[in-house]
Amino acid sequence: MATQPALSIHGLTKAYGNVAALRGVDLEVGRGELFGFLGPNGAGKTTTIRCLLDLIRPDGGQARVLGLDPRADAVAVRARVGYLPGELSIEPNQTAERALRYFAQLRGGVEWAFVRELAGRLQLDLRAPIKNMSKGNKQKVGVVQALMARPELLLLDEPTSGLDPLMQQEVYRLLGEAQAGGATVFFSSHIISEVEAIAERVAIIRDGRIAETLDPHDLLRRSVRRVRVRLREPLPEGALVGVLNATDIQRDGANLLVQVEGEMDALIKALAAYPVIDLETERPTLEEVFLTHYVEN
Amino acid sequence: MLASYPPALMAFFGDVMTMNTPQGYFGVYYASYMPLIVGIFVCSAAAGLLAGDEERGTLDLALAHPVGRTALFWGRWLALMVATGLILLLAWLGWAVTLPFTDFDVSAVNLLLGYLPMWAMLGLFGALALLLSMVLPSARLAATTAGALLVGNWLLSGLAALNDNLQLALDLTPWALFQGGEAIVALAWGPLLALKGSAVALLALAWWLFLRRDIRVGGERSWSLRGLRRA
Ligand SMILES: Nc1ncnc2c1ncn2[C@@H]1O[C@H](COP(=O)(O)OP(=O)(O)OP(=O)(O)O)[C@@H](O)[C@H]1O
Ligand SMILES: [Mg+2]
Repeated sequence: MATQPALSIHGLTKAYGNVAALRGVDLEVGRGELFGFLGPNGAGKTTTIRCLLDLIRPDGGQARVLGLDPRADAVAVRARVGYLPGELSIEPNQTAERALRYFAQLRGGVEWAFVRELAGRLQLDLRAPIKNMSKGNKQKVGVVQALMARPELLLLDEPTSGLDPLMQQEVYRLLGEAQAGGATVFFSSHIISEVEAIAERVAIIRDGRIAETLDPHDLLRRSVRRVRVRLREPLPEGALVGVLNATDIQRDGANLLVQVEGEMDALIKALAAYPVIDLETERPTLEEVFLTHYVEN
Repeated sequence: MLASYPPALMAFFGDVMTMNTPQGYFGVYYASYMPLIVGIFVCSAAAGLLAGDEERGTLDLALAHPVGRTALFWGRWLALMVATGLILLLAWLGWAVTLPFTDFDVSAVNLLLGYLPMWAMLGLFGALALLLSMVLPSARLAATTAGALLVGNWLLSGLAALNDNLQLALDLTPWALFQGGEAIVALAWGPLLALKGSAVALLALAWWLFLRRDIRVGGERSWSLRGLRRA
């Protein structure tokens, strides 16, 4: 028997009043993939994920989760999926442990040693009351909650939001391990570097449509970065001519602002001939990538 | 204390002539105040049963677990009715233990039966509050509306004794089906079942609306016709 894809979505539409949040989302995620769902604010990431769990109802189109219809088989789908909401709210008047025990009970029990291991790795104090927790610590409770039952499919809505860089790294490792253990991981994000760092495949959603599905390395290859160079003395005229992928040069005395597309190598080699004091690169935000890439095309 | 009230006020509180009978006493002290006081609690609890969690944002994650909406709806409703039943049971217990020390000629079991109409009445207003919470933008508004209807109905039931036209109006409200103190003497099953039946009808509608509802991640809904139609 051929296994069904983890997610299979066709022409999914959803409007909130007159706001069209999804305008026909098509997406296919295979079993065992670590899949990034990238999109700027308001693109429809949360809406898509919540449709998959039957928390909201699409107006049109079709979605299958692990081969099941989320509407008709809601309970069966949820039993096999771990979900981390993008806007996490947990009953505040209880400790993390109680909240997690309650969720575990709804799932018919989980291996508690694993919960402790997850909490330990995320440096989460299980005895702390939820209401006293910082945003990041609440997020950790959410992450533990999603992972603790070792579900077949993880649907994570911005899993690293509110976490410090060290904890983000730990979450990336946990996702990697979940995948190694056979799970499919589907996570949303609006941070390019995060998706690049861990995802094997990325779908880019924008204005309620999938703009494209690609290999995350292509994101880097096509993304435009700004490089700010401070030199000891102004560059001679024509110094960077021939550096094909560097454009939009602004000069202000010995300061340069260069826009580079793709790999940095040519620019670095060209600059090597001059005395460089400082060099800074800025990653563009997702919205800037869209503006440069999709608007131009 | 009640005896010193002017006759019109007495009429509001119940039939004065029966005050010295168990059913009259029960009618005045319990069957009129209890539904009101416990009723306000039930209305606010029922309105918040699902919509409250939704506004706090906790329903999102709860419903992402293997729990069906139907199970959640009826499970919570059952829990509320059990809690309400326990409150009434406590009230009954207080009565039952003091009964031997009074000269009222009523058995503890009959007294317990007397609480059934009250329980049914609370169930009806609870069901109304729950239904309103599925239709109105906020749990707070649903609780207030259901509570106001309850208080209004209670006032009407008191005033009806003073005016025939009001009595006609009262006959169109749920209170007309509510057997007060007389229930401990001869429980009328017909009105009781009618109360239960209406509650079940309201609940069925609320359940149907909950099944097709988009669960919010927090906050109250806004007023919009479209929102009502989609609810
Ligand atoms: N309950 C709602 N009522 C009305 N509009 C909504 C509602 N929820 C979302 N929207 C709108 O639908 C669109 C998609 O929202 P969604 O939350 O899916 O975006 P997102 O990609 O998750 O964004 P973010 O990165 O900010 O989380 C947005 O335009 C948003 O304003
Ligand atoms: Mg979102």
